[in-house]
Amino acid sequence: MKAISDKIKSIAAGLFDSGKIDVFIGWEGGPCDYAIRPYIARSKADLERMAFNEYAIHNSSNYLLKLRDGHEKIGIVVKGCDSRGVVRLLEDNQIKRERLYIIGVCCPGMKDPLLAIKAQSGLLPQRDCDNLADKCLNCLVPNPVIFDELIGEQQPPHMQGERFAKVAAIENMSVAERFQFFEKEFSKCIRCYACRQACIACDCRTCIYDEMRPQWVGRENSNSDNMMYHLVKALHMAGRCIECGECERVCPVGIPLMLINNKLAKDADRFFGPYEAGLSYVEGQKPALSVYRENDPDDFI
Amino acid sequence: MKILAKDKVAELLEKIAQQAEVYVPMAIEQGSGFYPWTEDNKNQPLLLDALNVYNSPKYILFPQTERMYDLKQQGQDLSIDQTHEDSSPRVIFGVRACDARALRSLDDVFLTRGFEDSFYKARRDNVTVIGNACYAPGANCFCEAMGVDLTEPEADVILRDAGNDGYIWESKTETGDKLTRAVAEFLNDKETKAPEAKSFQTQVDYDGVAEKLKGMFEHPLWEKMAEPCVNCGACTYICPSCHCFDIQVKMWGDSGYRFRCWDSCMYAEYSAEAGGGNPRPSGVERFRNRFLHKLEFFSERYGYSLCTGCGRCTIVCPAGVRITDIIKAIKEVDSSVGL
Repeated sequence: MKAISDKIKSIAAGLFDSGKIDVFIGWEGGPCDYAIRPYIARSKADLERMAFNEYAIHNSSNYLLKLRDGHEKIGIVVKGCDSRGVVRLLEDNQIKRERLYIIGVCCPGMKDPLLAIKAQSGLLPQRDCDNLADKCLNCLVPNPVIFDELIGEQQPPHMQGERFAKVAAIENMSVAERFQFFEKEFSKCIRCYACRQACIACDCRTCIYDEMRPQWVGRENSNSDNMMYHLVKALHMAGRCIECGECERVCPVGIPLMLINNKLAKDADRFFGPYEAGLSYVEGQKPALSVYRENDPDDFI
Repeated sequence: MKILAKDKVAELLEKIAQQAEVYVPMAIEQGSGFYPWTEDNKNQPLLLDALNVYNSPKYILFPQTERMYDLKQQGQDLSIDQTHEDSSPRVIFGVRACDARALRSLDDVFLTRGFEDSFYKARRDNVTVIGNACYAPGANCFCEAMGVDLTEPEADVILRDAGNDGYIWESKTETGDKLTRAVAEFLNDKETKAPEAKSFQTQVDYDGVAEKLKGMFEHPLWEKMAEPCVNCGACTYICPSCHCFDIQVKMWGDSGYRFRCWDSCMYAEYSAEAGGGNPRPSGVERFRNRFLHKLEFFSERYGYSLCTGCGRCTIVCPAGVRITDIIKAIKEVDSSVGL
C-alpha cells in the first residue's frame, strides 16, 4: 500500500507540474490508518497530506460532484468501484471526460474504517473489523474500468460464492414474508439520507425528497413514509447502481440496502440485458432504463 | 451509602416498570440505544457497562416524529380535535454525562427564554433521569473539554459502578428521592468507593473557541474543512443535542394532523425559502452553520457549548469528518486570514 501511495503522489506531482491538472482527488491521511478520508488537493504542496491505505474505501468519484460546475482539470484516483462511478457520471453528463485524468488502482479489497472506529470507540455492539469490508467481499470488479494510467497488478474478483444468493433467499420468500422483512428493515431508518449522499448514482441536482411543492414523499419517520423513501430510491437505481456498496456501508442503522440494489441489477440484466451498469464508457452510452426503444420488451408489465 | 447490587438491576427495572415506562441502554441486532424495558426487549443484552450506546436518549423527550394535533377543515375554518401532549411517566436508566448534558441543552431550548414548548414540557415534567457516571472515557470521548464532568451526570439519581460491590446509588433531586423511596427494597447500605476516573485519550482545547468564531464567519477555513463532508444528516440525527425540527401537515380530504419531525441543517431543504431562494446554497454554508451552532451560537445564548463531546458524529461520519479536528483547526488558524 505504501508503494501505491507513493506512486499516486509522484504521478500527481507530475500532473501538477505539467499543468495537466488543477486539482487532485484522493485521500488524506489521519492520526491513524482508518482515519483516512477523501481529500481534494489544490496544489502540489497539498499532496504532502495525501495517503492511500487499506481503509481508502470511500467512493472517490462522489467528490467529482463537488467540482461538476467548474472548469478545473481534475486528477482522480479510482479503485474498481470508483471507476464505475466515473462511468456513471460520464453517462449522466455530469462531467466531461476531457476534464479528467484518471489514475486507476487495481484494488486488493479494503477494510471498513467505520467498523474500525466503532471497534475502538467503546460503543457496543461491535462487528469484526479485521476482514475485508462487506462491500469488497461482494466485489466483482476490483480493477478500474476506465483510466489514463494504471497502478498495481490486476486483481481477481473478491466475491466468494454465488453472486445473487442473498437476493435468491428474498425472492424465495412469500409476498407477505418479504413485506414483513422490508418493513422491519425500513422501520430502523432514521432518514439521515447518508445512503443518498454517499451514492454516486444520486447525482440529481434537485432530489425528489427535497421537493416541497409538491412534497412527493412525507417526512414522517413512519413505515409508510420510510417505505416510500426506499422504494422511490430503489427504482431510481434500477440499471444505474454501480454496486459500490457505499449506501449500505455508511448506513448508521445497518439497513441491507444492497439486497435491493443487487436485485435491481439482476432484473435490469434479465429484462434489458445483457447489461451491467458502468462497466465501460462509450461516448453517448446510456443506462438501460434511460433509453426508449420501440422493441423494448414489455411483457412483464 | 446506598448500593444497588448488580444482580438486582433486572428486578429493580421490573419494579419501576410497574409505574412508568423504563428506557435502558441495550443492543438490538446491530444497533443500540435506549429502548423500553418490555417483555419483548427483556432478553436483549443490557449495556449498562458499555461506554455508551449508538442512539442517545434524545428521542424519548423529543421523538423523531411527534404528532401534535388532529385537525378538521370546514370551509375557511380549521378546528383542532385533539392535541397529543404526552405526559406519561418515564424513567431513563443509565444515562452518561455527555447525554445528560445534552438533555439539559434540550431543556434550555424548549423551556427557557420566554417560551415553553408544551409538547416537550409534558414529556419532560414526567421523566426521571438516572445517570451512569463514567470513569473510563473512550477513544473518541472529549466531554471534559466541552465542560462536562464525566463523573457527575446531570440527573435525578447517579449510579456509580463500584465493581463487585454493585452500583453506588446517589439521589440528587427530589424526583430522585421519590424514586429512591419507591425502590428502597433493592438498595442496601454499605460503604464502598467509586473508582478513579481515567484520563482522556483525545485532547481538545475548546477554551476561547466560541469567542474566536465570532469573527470567522467568512473564513476560508470552512471551505477546506467542509470538503470531505457529503452533507448527509447522519451526524445531526445521531447527535444527542441537535434539536432542529420542522412542522408539517398531512391532510386527507378535510381532516388530517400536524406533526413535527427532526430536521437537519445539512439538508438543502432546511434553509429553502418560500420565494425559492436559499441562504445556504451549498454544502459549505450548511457545514459552517452546523459547527457554528455547536461551537459558537449556542454558547453565546446559553453559556455552554452545544457539543457535549460524546464523539458519536465522528464515529458515524461516512467521510471521516472529526469535530475535534475542527476545534483544533479553529484554535490554531489565524482568524484574520482572507478577511
